[in-house]
Amino acid sequence: MSKELNPYLPRPASVNSVKNESLETKTLKLTLINWRADFLPGQFVQLLLPGVGEAPFCITSSPSDSKHIELTILRRGLVTTASQYIRPGDAVGIRGPLGKPFPLERFHGRDVLLVATGIGIAALRSLILYMLENRGKFKEVTLLYGARFPEDLVYRDEIRSWVERIKVMVTLSKATEQWSGLRGRVTDHLKDISLHKDVIAVVCGSPAVMESITNELIKYGLSRDNIYVSLERHMKCGIGKCARCLIPGGLLVCKDGPIFSASEISIRAIGE
Amino acid sequence: MLKLSKQELMSLVSELGRLGFEVIAPTRSNETVRLATLSSPSDLEMDYIRIINSPRDFLLPSRERLFKYRSTATVTSYGLKIRFPTVEGPCPVTIVPEYTPPKAKIAFFDIHPCMANSIRYLDKVMLSDPADPYYKARREDMFVAVLECEEGDEYCLCKTVETYKVPEGYADLMIRKSGGGFLVRARSKRGEELLASLKKAEVAGEPKDLVPKLKEEYAFDRTDEASIDERDASEYVDACTLCASCTVTCPTCYCADIEDKFSLMDPSNVERSRVRMSCQRKCYSMIAGGTTFLNTKDARFRWRLKHKFPFSERAYQLVGCVGCGNCIAFCPARIDFRKFLGRKVA
Repeated sequence: MSKELNPYLPRPASVNSVKNESLETKTLKLTLINWRADFLPGQFVQLLLPGVGEAPFCITSSPSDSKHIELTILRRGLVTTASQYIRPGDAVGIRGPLGKPFPLERFHGRDVLLVATGIGIAALRSLILYMLENRGKFKEVTLLYGARFPEDLVYRDEIRSWVERIKVMVTLSKATEQWSGLRGRVTDHLKDISLHKDVIAVVCGSPAVMESITNELIKYGLSRDNIYVSLERHMKCGIGKCARCLIPGGLLVCKDGPIFSASEISIRAIGE
Repeated sequence: MLKLSKQELMSLVSELGRLGFEVIAPTRSNETVRLATLSSPSDLEMDYIRIINSPRDFLLPSRERLFKYRSTATVTSYGLKIRFPTVEGPCPVTIVPEYTPPKAKIAFFDIHPCMANSIRYLDKVMLSDPADPYYKARREDMFVAVLECEEGDEYCLCKTVETYKVPEGYADLMIRKSGGGFLVRARSKRGEELLASLKKAEVAGEPKDLVPKLKEEYAFDRTDEASIDERDASEYVDACTLCASCTVTCPTCYCADIEDKFSLMDPSNVERSRVRMSCQRKCYSMIAGGTTFLNTKDARFRWRLKHKFPFSERAYQLVGCVGCGNCIAFCPARIDFRKFLGRKVA
């Protein structure tokens, strides 16, 4: 059996740099060793930490660099906890890119609203970087980013540079007194954004939050075809053979997703 | 078509062994009939209704090593210390798939039509793009001899899901009981060649499809997702013990987990294996942070049926239930999903 034909075999990568984003979140920049990842925003990879296991992560870097990929990892489970101890120079395995990307051609020439809560921003960073590099292709771009505490915010330095080219709104639901920005949940601030039926919205966050945001956006008149969500499941194989990422409606997050439009799946399925 | 005695049928089994096949056939042990590698043709059980395992357990074993690789984990006095290898180190730049293809080609002998249909379903799942290389290696050159079913027990439902017929390509031989002997006809070139090895005279006639006699018959009219979600299932679910027998004995349940395992004696040798997973377990739907999507017995009961019926029909245009009734027969609470999806007609 040749190596290329076996989709279960990871390909080698080494850790180039590690950046602390918040207390429990790190961004790993990986150098791919003798291979290139031709990916588009929205796709994911399986990261293998030798001796620990494998877990799926969204690629958070720009698709213009196919020799490196970046992954933003929040400490949550087995692999994510082990990944907190990774140092530059460590070797890891990568399978992918897997899944379907955002349908970018649908976004061209339109107003785009990106809504992220918590670590959900990681799934949108690749898209944001792509949009910044191809800014002329999109009309007004708004990022609405919600978190609980100030220390939960990630990509802080970058967001400061994004502000110049896209509209960014950051809101905290449990802000401290020093916080001078927006307060409350992301759904409280949708009224301040000009929303109409041609706006393309991308939503990523925890399942229950995505469900409520999607329902709100529909109330604001957005069409269901134009609302995209990025779903999370613990894919084991990533190629549709283990059925662990099956969602109501019978779609597989790894092969049919992880990006779905709200018309493809039932809204209840997003939060379930 | 040939008319054969049991002795001649056994010589077919020996002939398959001579051709390099590992013959897997029903054998009787501990009051149950199960598929096993046939060590002697006389172990062949021709008089059975239900087997406790299925071809799945041979084509897609419940634990299977995908590959081995080296890591630099070390055991210390206070536990296991994972030290990540550096690129100069041996791992995982040198991940070498240590995989040995099955020694012999597989021949399923004397399985019922429902089990032959289960191979068709697994093919749809495992050979769809990208094909699973481990399944494909076992599946290639497989030989299937089907024993047609005359009668089922009270749990069979092959007439409801129409799996008493064997689709093209899933049987090389069809065996039917007739008087004291067996009528055997070939359905493929390899089947013809095998029968020719007996050098017996042909019997005239082309028998019609045998429709098994079932003790109970059901018609399913509520197999779409909305109906499965809507109906009250408490009557079925209350008795469930979450033992997962239904998914363990199902010939088409393929859900799996992939895990890394190593021995504490030699922690640097890591084995990556695929292990069967059941949707009746809590960890099936768990994601990072401990969120689970299927939290109740009720949700898991519905999930299993949704995966078998609407989800499979959507993804593969094929119902995932092959009507063997194992999930009812081996359920300690005898939870019968047939009434949940339809009604009794006979």
